[in-house]
Amino acid sequence: MSDPANAVMNFPRRDARDKLLGRTRYTIDHVRPGVLHAALLRSEVPSARILRIDTSIARKMPGVRAIATAEHAPGLHGIGIADHPLFAQDVIRYDGEPIAAVAADTLEQARAAAAAIVVELEEIPAVISMAESLAPGAPQIHPDWKKYEVLVEGAARGGNVAWEATVARGDTDAAFARPDVQIIDSTYRVGRQNHVSFEPRAVVASFEDGRYHIQTSTQVPWTVRNMTARILQVPASHVRVTVPAVGGGFGLKFDCSLEPYAAVLAQMSGRSVSLVNSRQEEMLTCLCRENAEIRIRSAVTKDGEIVGREATVLMDCGAYGGEQIFLTTMTAHTLGGNYKLGSVRLSSRAVYTNTAPNGAFRACNGVYNTFALERHTEEICAALGMDSLEFRRRNVLGDKDLGATGQVFEGNVLGPMLERMAALREKSPSRKTEAGDRLYGRATTVGTWFIFIGPSSATVNLNADGSATLVTSGVEIGSGTMMQSLPQIVANSLGLRPQDVIVKTADTDASGLDLGVGGGRTTVSIGAASSAACEEVRKKLLSVASEMLQTKPEKLVLTGGRIEIAGIKGSGTTIAKVVERAQQVMGPVSGSGAFTAPGVPSMPGCAAGHFIDAIDIPVFAVHECEVAVDPDTGHVEVLSYKVVQDVGRALNPRAVLSQIQGGVVQGMGYALHEEVSIDAHGRIEQSGFETYRLPLALDVVPVEIDLYEGAPSIGPLGTKGAGEVPILNVGAAIACAVSNATGKRVQELPLTPPRVLALLLDRNEPLDFPHISPTWHDNIIHTGIHASL
Amino acid sequence: MPITLIVNGEERATQAAPMTPLLDVLREEFFLTGAKAVCREGFCGACTVHADGIARMSCLMPVGLAQGCAITTVEAIAADGVLSPLQQALEDHDVVQCGMCFPGMVMSLTKFLEQNAHPSRDEMKTALAGNICRCTGYERIIDAVLALTNAPQAAE
Repeated sequence: MSDPANAVMNFPRRDARDKLLGRTRYTIDHVRPGVLHAALLRSEVPSARILRIDTSIARKMPGVRAIATAEHAPGLHGIGIADHPLFAQDVIRYDGEPIAAVAADTLEQARAAAAAIVVELEEIPAVISMAESLAPGAPQIHPDWKKYEVLVEGAARGGNVAWEATVARGDTDAAFARPDVQIIDSTYRVGRQNHVSFEPRAVVASFEDGRYHIQTSTQVPWTVRNMTARILQVPASHVRVTVPAVGGGFGLKFDCSLEPYAAVLAQMSGRSVSLVNSRQEEMLTCLCRENAEIRIRSAVTKDGEIVGREATVLMDCGAYGGEQIFLTTMTAHTLGGNYKLGSVRLSSRAVYTNTAPNGAFRACNGVYNTFALERHTEEICAALGMDSLEFRRRNVLGDKDLGATGQVFEGNVLGPMLERMAALREKSPSRKTEAGDRLYGRATTVGTWFIFIGPSSATVNLNADGSATLVTSGVEIGSGTMMQSLPQIVANSLGLRPQDVIVKTADTDASGLDLGVGGGRTTVSIGAASSAACEEVRKKLLSVASEMLQTKPEKLVLTGGRIEIAGIKGSGTTIAKVVERAQQVMGPVSGSGAFTAPGVPSMPGCAAGHFIDAIDIPVFAVHECEVAVDPDTGHVEVLSYKVVQDVGRALNPRAVLSQIQGGVVQGMGYALHEEVSIDAHGRIEQSGFETYRLPLALDVVPVEIDLYEGAPSIGPLGTKGAGEVPILNVGAAIACAVSNATGKRVQELPLTPPRVLALLLDRNEPLDFPHISPTWHDNIIHTGIHASL
Repeated sequence: MPITLIVNGEERATQAAPMTPLLDVLREEFFLTGAKAVCREGFCGACTVHADGIARMSCLMPVGLAQGCAITTVEAIAADGVLSPLQQALEDHDVVQCGMCFPGMVMSLTKFLEQNAHPSRDEMKTALAGNICRCTGYERIIDAVLALTNAPQAAE
């Protein structure tokens, strides 16, 4: 085997130059002459019955080539349950929901025709907030929920609860009844966060030789292929998806979205059709990180042992279940993470509202579950009068400790990481003096996330010029994985230079199934599949080289583009010559590899309605920050930010540092600046960059980083994904620091100046959720799944 | 009446309506897609070009006002395909991620460095206030540019 250490290098990304020259062509740059332009007619009310749609006038308008409505795309899709039509069918469930799509010669013509479609509606009562949605007698957003196809069995559902995932380990009732415990009860609320990927969702589709070809800005080419086929009710093999450079994803593009509209219009018109969301459409219908409401209570002994914990997390999925169905799973591993728990009950519910659907966003609900968990931890420490760092040192998960679902964790990771943070703190002096007259606060938080593994495949072709071609369905979304870690892994396996590894862009006609680029999984899953493919290539090469060099294969090594007899430099021959010889005697050299989650056991019966009962590769993070809070304005300045991140092995340390800096800044936006509010009619109020406040250069600080390597990982060369996690505990760290600075109970994010000012003046309304009972049992659907409780 | 403008040194004419954003003419008519339409409100800076030597957001500039202007786009910054020192620094420090904001960053910073060859870190940050990046968190871009401007050969 090749030495993993040789794979570690700051190999620069090969796509940087064209990106700096303005030559890179993203999907939005593929809209060329002859391509039709499409526009969507979207609903402007949150809830209505459709009485009539008349496209006859629009059809006769100049330049119009095709108009599609629900009748052209009858299939329902979804994750877990198929509840989502492509176009509103009979009923409108959110403001912005597509009703029709028009393709025309120009975008102006398409928009004009869309506006000329006659839609007669009868408005019906809408439920905008989760409190309204869960109120007794609330209108049902999906009255036919029982009739929907269930794609994954095992969850409780009902009424406006799209999905419920529950965890029950041990007897919390007994724990809370103990005479020697204090009970700490907390509530939290967070708003939505928009990804604002700079390239909006965009697609160019054509229909040729009876098949759809979809060029799209996506993280998940195979999901797009399969979902499009399902919606259009054609065989999945009739859909080909290719992916140009992607201008940012962050999870927004982890689902099929615009692609089927363009596909159906391409089929109808016989032309290539482009569909690109305007920025306003992106702001108003983005699959945001969901708003959420959380109640968490713990029974803790005076020594700080957590003997019982119960929590309910309400996740607003909007009008359709979408990713939130899947993400209910993550509460067990995030809110239920970090700490040793004697007993635990968790309920994680995706709740329908008449608002735009939400989706996946970097570390997903881990971001706010970590905020809630860490703020709750600070409240516990305040109640016990215990130092919060000491509390964490005593309670963080270590080797052989049980997670919420009863999985057994391997290795002591968080404990040593806390020590590493202490060392980082020693190295750099406090910035307290910079706070001046402002209120100063500091906080350290821990977080648990995971690598989302799932199936990946790879093919490696070794070429006669000594280069290798790596064929996968991986997509370069900006994180650099396809440009850096994957060629580094292949090069290390085959004794090549990474620049000699060609990485093919995703094409579902050329590469095998892949779950997609997200969840920190690319280096791990596609990397493991690539390593397996390289093993096959190595075997073939070594068998031919063995004959050429008259040496046993096990005495041969691949290095520097050559195959050498071990220990004797210059004794062998070039890989190119071996490939040439192999082509004569056995044909071209290629290998294929596959990978999927091996599956870690949870405790039987602990988890219901979960897509992942136990996590294959946990990832831990420790964050610390210092803040200054202006008591007059409520403005929060981050003075310093430190991260110790569990990365397994950093293959490209410089690239990992870049991911951490970028992820922390996105988290600072979530914690401090980025607010999505929804008006009484269910419309998102921030329609552009003027009202949605992204972090700017002057808002940020250089993140001080220590990469924690060596924690157990099944990833190739001991890697863990590093790009997803950096955002995980930023909201938590800043909220705890602001709480420490102000002495106030921080229960909400983002901490915009008005909210902080209200906090300082005790003008925030108390967060008592009438729709989340303090009695945990009242917050679950009683289906008999937990009949034993 | 066509509108004529000089784009990257070449005289070009467009029949676009005068209120059409310059950005759309560059991208859709001249296929200079380096400038990106991201916010279309003048906040993000991804569409920045030079108009008569001034860094402008091309989404907010009606093409009618570009009549006779010399427009330079990111495609013309690397003379004869050789990266400018700024572009080279950004490549060398491996700071590019998704890349959508970088054409605008290059255009803004090129002008800024002409006016201030040795900026402080705070001056650099202020200069970047009109260029939003969603991937990088800015600091490493600033490190790369400061490495360039603090290098000995940057003195002349």
